[in-house]
Amino acid sequence: MAERHTNLIVASAPHVVSPANTASIMRDVLIALIPALAVSVYVFGIRALMLSVCCVVFCVFFEWLSRRIMKRSNTIGDLSAAVTGLILAFNLPVRLPFWMAAVGCLIAIVVVKQLFGGLGQNFANPAIVGRITLFIGFASPMANWTITSRMSQAILSAAEVDATTGATPLALSAAGLPVPTNMEMFLGLINGSMGEISAAALLLGGIYLIVRKVISPAIPVSFLATVAVLSLVFGLDPIFQLCAGGVMLGAIFMATDYVTSPITTTGRIIFGIGCGVFTMLIRVYASYPEGVSFAILLMNILTPHIDRLTRHKTFKPAEGGASK
Amino acid sequence: MKKTKLQILTNGIIRENPVLVLVLGTCPTLAISTQAINGLGMGVSVLVVLTCSNIMISALKRIIPDTVRIPCYIVVIASFVTMVQLALKAYLPSLDKALGVYIPLIVVNCIILGRAEAFASKNSVIDSMLDGIGMGIGYTLTATVMACIRELLGSGTIFGHTVTAGTITPFTIMVMAPGGFFVFGCLIALVNKLTKGKAREKQQNKCLGCPGAAFCSQKVEEGGAEE
Amino acid sequence: MGFSKHLNGVHVNHSKNTAGLPIIPMPAPEKVYIPMSQHIGAPCTPVVKVGDAVKTGQIIGDSDARTSAPIHSSVSGTVEAITQGMTQAGKIDTIVVIKSDGKRELADTVVPPEINSFEEFVAAVRASGVVGLGGAGFPMGTKFNIKPGTVEYLIINGAECEPYITVDHAAMLEFTRDIIDGIRATMKWLQIPKCYIGIEGNKPDAIAKFNELLKGDESIKVHELRQIYPQGAERVIIYETTGRIVSYGMIPWNAGCIVANVTSMLKMSHYLKTGLPLVSKYITVDGDIVVHPQNVLVPIGTPIADVIDFCGGLKEEPGKIILGGPMMGRATPSDEYSVCKSNSAILCFSKAFSNQRKETACINCGRCVAACPMSLMPARISRAFKDKDVEALKELDVLYCMDCGSCAYVCPARKPLNFEFRQAKAMVMEASKK
Repeated sequence: MAERHTNLIVASAPHVVSPANTASIMRDVLIALIPALAVSVYVFGIRALMLSVCCVVFCVFFEWLSRRIMKRSNTIGDLSAAVTGLILAFNLPVRLPFWMAAVGCLIAIVVVKQLFGGLGQNFANPAIVGRITLFIGFASPMANWTITSRMSQAILSAAEVDATTGATPLALSAAGLPVPTNMEMFLGLINGSMGEISAAALLLGGIYLIVRKVISPAIPVSFLATVAVLSLVFGLDPIFQLCAGGVMLGAIFMATDYVTSPITTTGRIIFGIGCGVFTMLIRVYASYPEGVSFAILLMNILTPHIDRLTRHKTFKPAEGGASK
Repeated sequence: MKKTKLQILTNGIIRENPVLVLVLGTCPTLAISTQAINGLGMGVSVLVVLTCSNIMISALKRIIPDTVRIPCYIVVIASFVTMVQLALKAYLPSLDKALGVYIPLIVVNCIILGRAEAFASKNSVIDSMLDGIGMGIGYTLTATVMACIRELLGSGTIFGHTVTAGTITPFTIMVMAPGGFFVFGCLIALVNKLTKGKAREKQQNKCLGCPGAAFCSQKVEEGGAEE
Repeated sequence: MGFSKHLNGVHVNHSKNTAGLPIIPMPAPEKVYIPMSQHIGAPCTPVVKVGDAVKTGQIIGDSDARTSAPIHSSVSGTVEAITQGMTQAGKIDTIVVIKSDGKRELADTVVPPEINSFEEFVAAVRASGVVGLGGAGFPMGTKFNIKPGTVEYLIINGAECEPYITVDHAAMLEFTRDIIDGIRATMKWLQIPKCYIGIEGNKPDAIAKFNELLKGDESIKVHELRQIYPQGAERVIIYETTGRIVSYGMIPWNAGCIVANVTSMLKMSHYLKTGLPLVSKYITVDGDIVVHPQNVLVPIGTPIADVIDFCGGLKEEPGKIILGGPMMGRATPSDEYSVCKSNSAILCFSKAFSNQRKETACINCGRCVAACPMSLMPARISRAFKDKDVEALKELDVLYCMDCGSCAYVCPARKPLNFEFRQAKAMVMEASKK
């Protein structure tokens, strides 16, 4: 008789698990961000890469440090800090000093994420809060738009006219100056935060995430559709509005952050519409030219309420009724 | 256990710091702590009003009818606040201008009302005076420290003297409301760490987590006996 | 009703490595260990004594309870001992140990039953010893003991949605006619007008074979189920085939349905034809460390280790041995336990494969919500369970969870969600008792 095995592992079913885990999901997000990073380096030069690396390194470092100080398990392996770092970098102007970027990382990782209990417990997207904090705290460096020769003619000529003008397309549009063509906008030969310029590259990443089933299309589609529809309502060019500013980056990478977006498809559609509405309201009526990050932050805060309202109906017969 | 006079005096500085442990009077603290000089000015004003009103209320505690004690306290406090405000207007008009409405609002500052209710109305005049001075010092320290941090980070100066301004871009959000809350939270965490949370552990009954836990008149033993 | 046409589920890698392989009968082992409780309901009492000579198919345990099924000897030989021992379910039970003489002689009682009435039919089904062979273990005689004419649909569960397992598939291909005969007999005596045979779309050959043999018979329909786990769960298959809703606190009969596993139906049919009760079970032996994964016909009571040895043994030290499918099966602590009526697979996995679960924080991704066939909110139930919030658990309908494991399968944070929900259900039940 063969030897007996009497000391086997006993665990609860299921005994197989899907291949996706937190780290693999985060890795997919990082992969999806590569095209936008490449365009950014092409347009802004090597400093774009340096600033991105700086943000990633600081975010991972702060994650490690805060977990260590709080005597919690080390979680840098789940790569969520790296994703936060890269997305935060994409929201910064390329000439921002490194130490300011580090302050943003500190706010994002320590204040927004770890102080609230770490991954999964943060009330808002860390990268967005990091960006908004920098935006308010360092107003002028955060509006320091560098001009490079690879940018579109409209931006270069505007820069010649008035070097102090914030030469992002939205700022040009607000000032009544000529704006880049829609093709330039789509490809990303424009000015703006590092990662947000190229709609094409961001869409490519978004398609990768949807194909890999990392994100559901509900939020990006409803967000972008709302922006397009409201542009038409306000009599603006929808393609310009979609490609300008952070709409693409926000809709594909920031609004879809699992932790701070609703859990059901219905909830996600409501969330996306809300983001779109707030974005356009801020762009059209408020004093800031851009409103994506504020819109997403507002909707982040509404997420628990949306979740409560869009709960799935349990599979059971109608109350009191027969089952047939 | 009766506290010694020294304990009463030092009680308010860290162990029962009115802002950071009792979490009273946060609104004016957050609002005025944008510049160190404002924090100090506000702190001293509160110190004076708190000490005087504690003495007065303690002295009058047998005369004041229990049912109308709060209006009486308010009248007493309002008188002292008016004196302080007039003094400020006369001698430090710039500070008065900077603190604006927060000086008259000391009347309804919960620290002063809270100490009147929780301490002065039950203790002797000397003890109440020491408590007022201690609490006032605690408040002044907190407001000044918070204001120094916020002024340094947000404007690059301390008491108006340039420290880092010009060399490092100031982090303007620190002198705005979010920065105030952030520094406030950090200081509470620090004090909690220093006292090892002792101030809070006093109250193990149902109202655990109430900011008034540390000076609540309902004793732990009573709360426990009810269970 | 407000529910979409299909229920949610998860795409699980089928891993049907043994598909298409024939069922190989396993010779009688040296000794069989037959527990007296292999079904839901009252355990049986042994009706044999130590030293008795028994033959294959002879009753060795029976009970008078309404919900129970007799237990038969699976070999011929002598009763060596009647002891109390641990069974694979982790319970102490009476175990009849029979030393085999290796001949597997049939008992005299093995003759086709004579059936002329509904009562005789139900008695025969009970006497066959057949229980829910898909894993539930509910005695079939009890299930069929209803007022004839009260059931509208007979549903035959041939979904076999669990990965790895292929025995139902093999049985459907090999014994198609016997299964249909069993269905017809059931429909006749229970006066059921309509039957659905639910088969998952990954078994097109079985579907084709049934369709061919059922040509012209409108009362029995093959329903091709989507290739998504868990199509074979009772509530899911009833909804997918008939559109009726059976949920917590109901039995299928409340919705005019009876569900039977395809192998149960086959074994019952065999009994009606030959009189041979349930003495052996089709078992898929698979897993990454089994030398020859295959489908075997195992005498009930055979120790698990003997079955594994018959399949060539293991390539390395096992980490986990699972009885049943990997989604809902039970990991057994030891391979000394014996094969039961309700087992359909023995899966052996290496240590590396077994240690793949490391729990991290919930990231609110919503995969569990999209996966739950019962449209529950697993992420929120998990949070309420952590808070021990019984009211919230009740409000979130945790009792409707059927423990299919879809949520835990998809969870990227590797949270043991359905395990938590099992405890949560117990908490809610405990609270409602008070």
